Amino acid sequence: MWLRRLSTDRIERRLPASDETPRIIVRPVKSALRICAFNDAAAALGLKLGMPLADALAMYPSIAVHEADHQADSALLEAVADWCDHYTPLVGLDRPDGLILDISGCAHLFGGETVLARDIVVRLARQGLQAQVAIAGTVGCAWAMARYGTASLVPENALGEVLLPLPLTALRLDDETVAALAQAGLRQIADVVNRPRAPLAARFGEGFLRRLDQALGRENESIRPRLPLPSYMAERRFTDPIALESDVLGALGQLARELGHVLERRGEGARLLQAVLFRADGKVYRLEARTGQPLRDPERIQRLFIERLAVIGDECDPGFGYDVIRLSALVSEPFEPTQSGLVGPDTQAELAHLVDRLSARFGSRRLTRLVPQDTHIPDYAVAAIPAQAARQDAAVAPVEQESRALARPLRLFERPEPIEVVAEVPDGPPIRFRWRHVLHDVAVAEGPERIAMEWWHDDQGHALTRDYFRVESKEGARMWLYREGLFERETVKPRWFLHGLFA
Amino acid sequence: MFAGMPATLCRLRDAVARIEGHETNLIAARMLSLGVRPIDNVLQGGLTPASLHEVAPAGPRDIGAAIGFIVALASLAGRQTLWIQTDFAAREAGTIYGAGCDPFGLPARELLIFKVARPLDVLWAMEEALKCRALSSVVAELPDDASIADLNATRRLTLAARAGGGFSFLLRHRSSLLTSSAETRWHVAAAASRPDRFGGLGRTAFVLSLTKNRRGPIGQWTIIWNHHERVFSAFSLGVAQAAFDRPDRTPLACVG
Repeated sequence: MWLRRLSTDRIERRLPASDETPRIIVRPVKSALRICAFNDAAAALGLKLGMPLADALAMYPSIAVHEADHQADSALLEAVADWCDHYTPLVGLDRPDGLILDISGCAHLFGGETVLARDIVVRLARQGLQAQVAIAGTVGCAWAMARYGTASLVPENALGEVLLPLPLTALRLDDETVAALAQAGLRQIADVVNRPRAPLAARFGEGFLRRLDQALGRENESIRPRLPLPSYMAERRFTDPIALESDVLGALGQLARELGHVLERRGEGARLLQAVLFRADGKVYRLEARTGQPLRDPERIQRLFIERLAVIGDECDPGFGYDVIRLSALVSEPFEPTQSGLVGPDTQAELAHLVDRLSARFGSRRLTRLVPQDTHIPDYAVAAIPAQAARQDAAVAPVEQESRALARPLRLFERPEPIEVVAEVPDGPPIRFRWRHVLHDVAVAEGPERIAMEWWHDDQGHALTRDYFRVESKEGARMWLYREGLFERETVKPRWFLHGLFA
Repeated sequence: MFAGMPATLCRLRDAVARIEGHETNLIAARMLSLGVRPIDNVLQGGLTPASLHEVAPAGPRDIGAAIGFIVALASLAGRQTLWIQTDFAAREAGTIYGAGCDPFGLPARELLIFKVARPLDVLWAMEEALKCRALSSVVAELPDDASIADLNATRRLTLAARAGGGFSFLLRHRSSLLTSSAETRWHVAAAASRPDRFGGLGRTAFVLSLTKNRRGPIGQWTIIWNHHERVFSAFSLGVAQAAFDRPDRTPLACVG
């Protein structure tokens, strides 16, 4: 597919349709502005690519001039590629202004290849983009026919004949090779097809022969799809686009049932689900939902997307409606559910589903499990791992206890709070301290528990040793305080912090 | 009738389980007994599942005690616990520390921690979590007095709790005067613990005040939590010791 006037169409689709001004796009080439694209009206005036801007303006002062914006063009090309996803998932970008779609096996869904080609052209025209589409058995042939040929559909065995009259630039060669071939008097594909290959390779390089073979089908060429291919997919097309959220969810529910059947037949469950909503005017929305355990229950899949839509539903503006909705399983795993008896509900699956729903709605990093880490620094001794990713069999290593009380606090502050403490120097326990403007008198203090920071991780030598104390105030409140820095060995004025609360 | 439906289902499930010879471990039939006779008598057996219980600290310095009380109850309830708190509550009073709650009695692998941005999200998440039967207790921690958890909100939570059958606790950082449809309301204060033989910190002690009880009278008790055996017991001063008198300037006992 070749989007002939991509750059000018990008500008023109925002303008009213009756605007017929000739329009050119200029790009600085070696410190002179030259034309790099123009629309049909400008072509009719006789402007050519590479003409300096000054000459063009001298000839036709009233043409509209725009600066080249490759990023915007590229973004538009990718948006069109996204939209073409609903014809086939195998869409490759052919920069700067082309797309390659692999429609083997998809064409019958649209009523045949010719109908498909016409459908693409018509729909893109509605979106304001001119396109030329050619369908052929090889990538090279399709490319050549879209740009230089006249037929839009090339039958299987007519590849060679159709290519013969085309010029050699239709083979995706670079300019130097084309110039060298022209010097040798070879201008059309017909000239080179039947020549002996070894001299051609010697003179013009292997790349030239490879392009020729790719076009004629002697060598295989596959496209590189932009997006990963889903393992399983179910989609629904609507002749009358739907816009209500409840309808969208209903459609997703039906698709989830179909997907569930397919997954069940293969004995797999989905770990990453994606719902793609194609708007009638070309915009595409993708919603993803992750699960902790493989899932194929249709109701649960639908509820995951209810949560996702609740979060980002405001950004998905249906516009005139969605005409294609697709549900795919991007990642799947083998999954054999255990038979649940009549005794009780499958609580493990229910818990996993609750975890998935809460993670889908609020983000998976907010719902965590505590997993012990191999470090003695209290801040990092226990890490919070997202519950969807955590494995259930990790156990916390018990801390040695000498007394009846507990060694580690029940609650830890992420940032230890600075407190003012009265304590004996150099390393006596706290006697009185003020935390959040409240004075506490210490009745009993246990400690110190000396925890040195990991000097092997610390380059500047700033890590100060901590002496932890478990204190109980006169009222009975128990807290975990520490003094940071050894007096006169590490720092002149050690600071005190409150790190945690006991029960 | 709301309470009737799950009760019938539970009865049928129990019957099938008995016939099949499985052990029934459904929570809906179980009350959470605290193990201290005076409290259990007042509660008619223990804390009821499938209903909301509110806990608040008696004063601003008792927040640790209130949290400890709930963690102890959650460990008695068994199986999985979900703890929901706002980011602000985490800044005010920290987050559950895995190395600390394990020895306290609640294994860290049975705990799920959920931090949300807004108190409204806490209530929504609690409602959804209560309907899940796999969680034996759900705790929602709201900073300040949580005026967002008013009568309507607590009524919704109670209905959700009835559907699920687990225990639900609402922890407010400050006690509130709002009416709520909670089954019981507790104020927890820290109590000075009885020091051990070496003069160190003793077992965790709380002063529990039951300020609202739908099933009986209210009262106040001092109890200890034995984290080794995971039981509550009444706070006794010991037979041989007289009333424990702490002078104002206690000489510090440093162990370690």
